[in-house]
This record gives sequence, structure tokens and C-alpha cells, in this order.
Amino acid sequence: MALPLSYSLRSLFARRLRTALTVGVIALVVVATTLFLGLISSLQRTLRTTGSPRNLIVMRKGSSNDGSSQLPLEALQNIRFFEGIAHDAAGNPIISPELIVQPFFLRKDGGRENVLVRGVEPAAALAVHDEVRITEGRIFEPSAGEALVGRGVAGRYRGAQLGETLDFGRGRWKVVGSFESGGTSFESEVWVDVRELANDAKRPFPYSSFRLTAAPGADVDALARRIADDPRHALEAQPETAYYAKQAESANTLYVLVVGLAVLAGIGAVFGATNTLYAAVQARTAEIGTLRAIGFSRAAILTGFLVESLLTALLGFAVGGTLAWGLGILISWALGGVGFAAATFTTSVIELRVGASDLAAGLVLSLAVGLLGGFFPARRAAALRPVEALRKA
Amino acid sequence: MIDLRNVSRIYRRGADEVHALEHVSLHVPAARFVALMGPSGSGKSTLLNILAGLDRPTDGEVVVAGERLNDLSEDELAAFRGRHVGFVFQFFNLIPVLTAQENVELPLLLTHLARAERRERAATALRVVGLSERARHVPNQLSGGEQQRVAIARAIVSDPEIIVADEPTGDLDAKNAEETLGLLRTLKQDFAKTVVMVTHDPRAEKYVDLVHHLDKGVLLETREGGAAPGGAS
Amino acid sequence: MIRFLPLVWRNLGRNKTRSVLTGAAIALAIALVCVLRTMPAGLDNLLASITANTRISVHNEAGIVYALPYSYLQKVRSVPGVVAATSWTWFGGAFEEEKGVTFPNFAVDADSIGPVYQDLGIAPEALEAFRRQRDSALVGRQTLEKYHWKVGDRVTLKSTVFPVDLEIQIVGEIPLANDPRLWLQREYLSQALEAQGSHFDLINMVWARVDEPERVNDVMRTIDELFRNSEAETASETEKSFFGNLFGNLQGFVTVILLVTGMVTLCIVFIAANTASMSIRERVGELAVMKALGFRWRTLFWLLILEAGLLAAVSGAAGVAITLGLARALKNLAGWSPQLGPLASFLVTNAILVEGLFLALVIGIVSGVVPAFGASRRSVAATLREVF
Repeated sequence: MALPLSYSLRSLFARRLRTALTVGVIALVVVATTLFLGLISSLQRTLRTTGSPRNLIVMRKGSSNDGSSQLPLEALQNIRFFEGIAHDAAGNPIISPELIVQPFFLRKDGGRENVLVRGVEPAAALAVHDEVRITEGRIFEPSAGEALVGRGVAGRYRGAQLGETLDFGRGRWKVVGSFESGGTSFESEVWVDVRELANDAKRPFPYSSFRLTAAPGADVDALARRIADDPRHALEAQPETAYYAKQAESANTLYVLVVGLAVLAGIGAVFGATNTLYAAVQARTAEIGTLRAIGFSRAAILTGFLVESLLTALLGFAVGGTLAWGLGILISWALGGVGFAAATFTTSVIELRVGASDLAAGLVLSLAVGLLGGFFPARRAAALRPVEALRKA
Repeated sequence: MIDLRNVSRIYRRGADEVHALEHVSLHVPAARFVALMGPSGSGKSTLLNILAGLDRPTDGEVVVAGERLNDLSEDELAAFRGRHVGFVFQFFNLIPVLTAQENVELPLLLTHLARAERRERAATALRVVGLSERARHVPNQLSGGEQQRVAIARAIVSDPEIIVADEPTGDLDAKNAEETLGLLRTLKQDFAKTVVMVTHDPRAEKYVDLVHHLDKGVLLETREGGAAPGGAS
Repeated sequence: MIRFLPLVWRNLGRNKTRSVLTGAAIALAIALVCVLRTMPAGLDNLLASITANTRISVHNEAGIVYALPYSYLQKVRSVPGVVAATSWTWFGGAFEEEKGVTFPNFAVDADSIGPVYQDLGIAPEALEAFRRQRDSALVGRQTLEKYHWKVGDRVTLKSTVFPVDLEIQIVGEIPLANDPRLWLQREYLSQALEAQGSHFDLINMVWARVDEPERVNDVMRTIDELFRNSEAETASETEKSFFGNLFGNLQGFVTVILLVTGMVTLCIVFIAANTASMSIRERVGELAVMKALGFRWRTLFWLLILEAGLLAAVSGAAGVAITLGLARALKNLAGWSPQLGPLASFLVTNAILVEGLFLALVIGIVSGVVPAFGASRRSVAATLREVF
């Protein structure tokens, strides 16, 4: 016969202050680790989801990112008719030549950051980057001094709202539209006409990279190899997803940091919880003796105390998880996104979101704390002999 | 030594008013061994607390060892107790993490004595109660009777005039109870201490000079104890 | 008070399990707080270590990436008030190709780097060697330690910006603990590019030293005026302002760190308070007896506070020790990264250690105040009535 759940619950509420303090400790640990985890997850999510599996990115050989690559016009002309590249309705190959520049932008609070400005040809860009959806306004007209901004940009910099004018590079650009792309890193970018940008930045090479879409059923690897093997230029091609996945790897050290923090904090919480439960066992020695005398088995006592410990932990998780979720939204709203430096030395605007997986990790952590913290005290409670326990009273 | 005039004590327990003592007057001359006896709730412990400077009367005057306790502040009462009164309780006498010697030294920490002197006095006190060999033992290594004797040693270590004992034999078996009572008797006999004891123990009457009976907060009668000169044995 | 120390210490040993568990929890939490503190502190230290208030940067107004013509260097040198000027060009070299750029490296003007950075304390022989030897390099201490390089080692860097790999030999260190920079000769890069047929006459920025701090603003204005309405307009700013801006986008991350630090601190308070209240509550009877013996309530109060403080202090010391080991492990794992820059240097300063100890002490005392006050103020008679 197991100890009734109501007994465990009522015991917790009888010692309100102690329970509250322990719940507080666990809640704080959950908030701290879940929030941090949410930050890193948000960063990784942004990077990992960016890119289509059927797209290839072509850069100069040896460049680690398209911000440092430079490609001549001839390279575009040579590869655009390669077999395996998809074609649109009009029979044109779906390939987007792009130029990356990182000019200074001024944040709303006055600080200065590098922002990734992507010079593109409107139709080609929208064809290749099919996850991009224009939510307000329209894409820019070529040679009109206009710009299309990503969702993360609009809220962070001066003059970045629809209808306003952005001041960067050597010119001024009117914001005619904004886009979202499913939370990918494109949302931290500003898109303008590629020729205007090359002019503004006075680049000797008109392009940084090409993005192309492989035809359905085409052998993507063969296409990539053909591009790389072309003797006229030193090029390399890789799937977009692989390219961004590599960038996401650099966030791995951050994961190490967070996991380390979670483990340490968790251990601390275990100690705290164990302390409280030991005291509870001690204080209830007579009670336990009575229960055993009545006929509850050792296993029932052990389980009962473990259940109490787990309930405390779950309560801590409920409080902490909710708080973390709310804080994530609050921070994002207050700061206008959290900035991280991307590999291109531009700012990636990350929307801090404490997601389901982060909360799940928090849950696992608190359950572990509850189990580990409760184990030894519960064992001691179960080991009490009824006669001794009653005599001590 | 101890003079209580028309002392009353009323305190609150929840919503009720408890009249623990009603107009009690008591005089205890120096170097006497006195017992306060009576049923549960008779007010004997309250009376003891008041004359020991642990509690204040609601009414009446308290003069002990020449000092009028009514006027003293809390800190002054504490100092008074440290100088003039030694305590022996029924439970929780000793600090469990200190050895017997260190427990006896405890009151001396309030004085300006150097460590060596404190040690010496504590050793002397332990000798008086016959527990020198147990000086380095902690309380849970001592029997109930031994613990009580250590408490008595502590009560005399700062050489107070008055020893106050609240049910000192309440938790002891017959042999240890008699030993404890005998020890308290020795304190009056050989060291001229004024010993006031609250007790239920009928054996106590043999050892004391006077027995004061209380009931419902009122002092009923005073009899001579078995140890009084000329008293019944 | 000293005479009471044995009593206080023994009371901590009353329930060894509890004291150890509490102590361990506090130690871990203090270690966490200290390690977290090193992160924004890394940034603050970097900005604070820029002691030279006469060094200014000149870069393209549109952005560093926009580059400047090499000829600007000489023009800046000719501005009155400028004592020396050198150029920096981002080389973007990767030491281990798969890991990408793991420390900032630049091609600089070797002749003028010394006069501009005279306050860094680079050994004169090193500067001389850097000037004379074409393929030499100066490296900051943080990077040297990270890769266990020594002066004399040869290292190959694959540029991610230029189509060249350069093998350089380390001839000296920049003796700052949190400096990750590597400087190689611009001439060396230039020759390598010429060999491939490209012409190299761009720089990313000019760093100049002004003769007096009061003249800095004027000199900066003069320089920007000089290049106004030309092909590449410039923006000059002080070194502090430059680095402040460079890492300005980390503000959000720093905010999260500070929040987390605050939460962990609060945790410690809860844990300590819980223990204090538990251990004091079970001693109510004993405390009443001590009061009976003549101990004043204030004395008892301070004894209880001393006990909580002692436990916290010892735990804090243990936590500080853990911090050192933890920081070293993190430094080896992380170190400078593009995302976090100086935030990930995990450099533990004495200030942080002292603050950690102090925090532990304060928390211990604060957490014990309420239970200690309650316990020491209890009336003896009331306690005896209840307990006995």
C-alpha cells in the first residue's frame, strides 16, 4: 500500500517557508539555465534553418563566408548554363548573383554595428531564396536608391522602418518594403540593387557569390564538382544548408558554456534540496515511526518522500519555466532582439525565444534535481525503525 | 537573600489570560535549600523564573541579593543572572557540541577571565561534582545523571549566591535522582549557596530545609523539610 | 568575540551533513557567479586597458569594409599633431582551416607600428626584428597561450580574404593577457599578391598617435576635413570609441549574463537562509538556556550571525578556488570567438575573486539576520514554557 498523494502534498504545504525556499532555488536554477539555453538555441535555430537544401552557394575557393569572397562577371557567365541548374518558366537559369558589403549602421540607441547588405537582382533573388516572403511594401526597383529590409533590421536601426530612409555606405536608401524568412539569418540583412551597391562600395569585382537552385532530380554533387573543377576560375560550391550549418558550429562553444552552467547550477540545487529534505525527515521522525507502525512498508516511505521531492522540483519547474518564457519575450521586446556577431562580422539579430526544447531541458534538469536531491533523505526515512522513531519523539 | 512582595504574574496564551501567580509573598533567607512544590499549573515554575530574573512580575516587588529586579532593563537582568544565579534545568541543559568541560566554562565566557583561568575554574567545578574523568566527553556520551551533574558544575562555576533548579530530577532514575538531590544539598551545606528548587519529586522533601506549596498561583502553606534542623526525617 | 569562536565553529559541526551540503551549494554558486562575471569584465577590462588616450583610428566613413587607399597613410602623417601613423588591413588568416578565423590578424605597416603602440610594452628587440624580417609576426599573449606558441615558432595562416597562404615566424609577443591579435608585415602580403598578378593598394584603417590628449579632437576634425568630398570620406574616432562600438552589439548578451548572475546570487541567498533558519530553529531551547545563564540577546544575535557568516566565508573561499580551475578549463575550450570576442576570454582578475568572497560573506550574514533576530529576541520564560 503506497502513501497517499494527499499526504505528500499536505506535508509540503505544512512547512510553507521551507518548501517555498527550495522551490525558489529550483525555479531560479531553471530560469537561469533555460534562459541561457533559449539564447543559444535561438542563435542556432536561426543559423541552422537558413538555406534551402536544393540551393548551392558558389564562392571563391578558400573563402569561409560570402562576405570575404570576390567573383568576376565571367564566372557568372561561364557557369550559368551548366547542366543541373533549374530553369524558370521563361527558360532562364535560376541563379542569383550577389554582392555582400558590411557597412556601418546606427542602432536606435546610438550604437554602431556592421550590417550585412546583400546586393541582388530582384527577380533572381526571390526565385532562389524561396523562403523569403515580402510582408510589407515591395522589393526595390533597380537603380532607384531603394532598399528591402529584413524583419530583424526594421526594429533595430535608425531609418529602417517602411517609408524611412537608411543612411549607409556612401548614399541614402529609401526603405520600400520589409520581408520575413521564417526566422532565418536573412532577416538580419538589407537587400539592395547589386549594381548600385557595387558602385557605392567601389568594388573591383561586381559579385561576392552566386546562389543557384538545382533542377528537380538533378545530381547536386555532380554539379558542385563541375563548378569546382572549372579551370577558368578558382570556385567552390556547396549546398546552402551545409554552408549555414558550418556557421552554426561556431555556436558550439557557447553550448559548452551553457551546459556547464546548467550542470553546476543543478548540482548546487541538488545540495539545497537534499538539505531541506533531510531536515524534513528529521522533523517528522515520529510521524514516520507512526506510519511504519500502522503498516506502511519501507518502500512506501521511500517512494512517498521521493514523490515529495519530485513535487517540489516540478513546482520549481512550473514557476521557473513560466518566468523564463516571459523573460525571453520581455528581453527581446526591450532590446529589439539580441545581437550576435556572425562569421561575416555583421550583426545577427536573434529573437530570444525560450522554446519547447529549452523548457524540456529545464524539466529534465529539475526532475534530476528532485530525484537526486531526494534520494538520500528518502532512504534515511525508509531505514528508520518504528520503535526507535517513536521513542525519539 | 530573596524577597518577593505581593507578586502577581498574568500572561496571555492566545486569547486567554492566565493568572499564573496571585499576590504571592515569599522570603528565602541566605544559605537555605528550599523546594517549591505543587500540581501542574500551580505557578511554581513561574515563581522560580521571577525570582531568578528570567521573567518580570505584572505586579509586586522583587528584591534578590540586594538588588531590586523590577527596575532592571533586559541587559541588566542578563548581567544580574550571570553574576548571581546558577541554573539547572530538566532538559536542554548542555550544548551538545561542547565537551563537559567546555559546557561548564560557558558562563565564564561572559567574564573577562583569561583562557587558562577559565579552564582552571571549570576543572575545579567538575571536581566538586565528581566528574573530572569525563571532562572531555560530549553530552551524548554521558548518562542522564552525569549530564545533570555537569549542569550543576556549570551552575556553580561563576560562584553565584543563588542556585535555581527547575525539576532537576524529573528525567532521572531513582539512583541518579538521589545523587543529584544530595549534590544540591552539599551546595547549601558546604558552599553556603541559596538553592531554590521546583520539583514534583516526593523524594526531594528529605533533602530540603523548607517546602513551599503552591496551587493555582497562590502560596498555600510552608512546611519544614526533612533536612531542617529539628525537622521530620 | 574571539573567545566565542570555538563555540561558533563547533555549532557548524553540529550537523555536518547539512553544513557540508550548504557549503558546497554556496561554493558552486559563487564559482558560477565569478565565472559569469569574467564575461562582461573581459569587455570592461579590454576597454579599460586602452590607457592611451592619444591613439585614434581613421577608417572609411561608410564602414571598415569599405577600405581606404594606401596613400591616405602618408596624408595622415602630414597632419600637424600626428606623431606617428600605421595601417591595418584585415588578413583574416585561419590557423586550422576547419575552425576558420579564431583570432584577429592584420597586415600592418611594420616600420610605424612601434611608435604608434609604444604603450603596449612590446620589447624593442621584438619591434626591431618585426621591422627587419619580412615574414615575421607579433602575437598577443592570449593567442600565444591558447596555441602554446613560443617566440621563434613558424606558423602558416590561410587567408580567408586574400587568395594567399603565408608562413610567418613569431618574433615577439604583445604582453597583454587578454590580447588575441596577430600582426604581420604588409610588405609581405603585398609581395605575395604581386606574385599572383594582383595589385594591392588598399588598407582597412589607419591608426595614429596624437602628440597631446587635448589636441585629439582637433586632429580628428582636421583629418576628416582633409578627405571630405574625396572618393573615400573618413570618420576618425578615439581607440576607446572604436572598440566600444565594435563590441556594442554584445549588449544583449551581456544583459542576459547579468540577469543570470543575479538569479544565481538570489539562489545562494535562499539556500543560506534555509539552512540558517533550520539550524537556528532546532536550537531554540539551548538559546533560552544561554540567555538564562546571562548571555545578552545581542551577544546571541551576533554569535548566530557569525556562524552563518563563517560558513559562507569558508564556502566562498572554496568557490573562489573552483573558479580558478573552471575559468582555466573554459579558456581552453572557448577563448576568443567571433561571436563573443573579449566576452569569452574568461580572465579571472583579483578583483573578481575578492568580490566573490565578499559576496559570499554578505550573503551569509544577510541570510542569517532574520532567523537570528527572531531567535535571540524570544523571551526566555516564554520559550521555557513552550519547550519544557
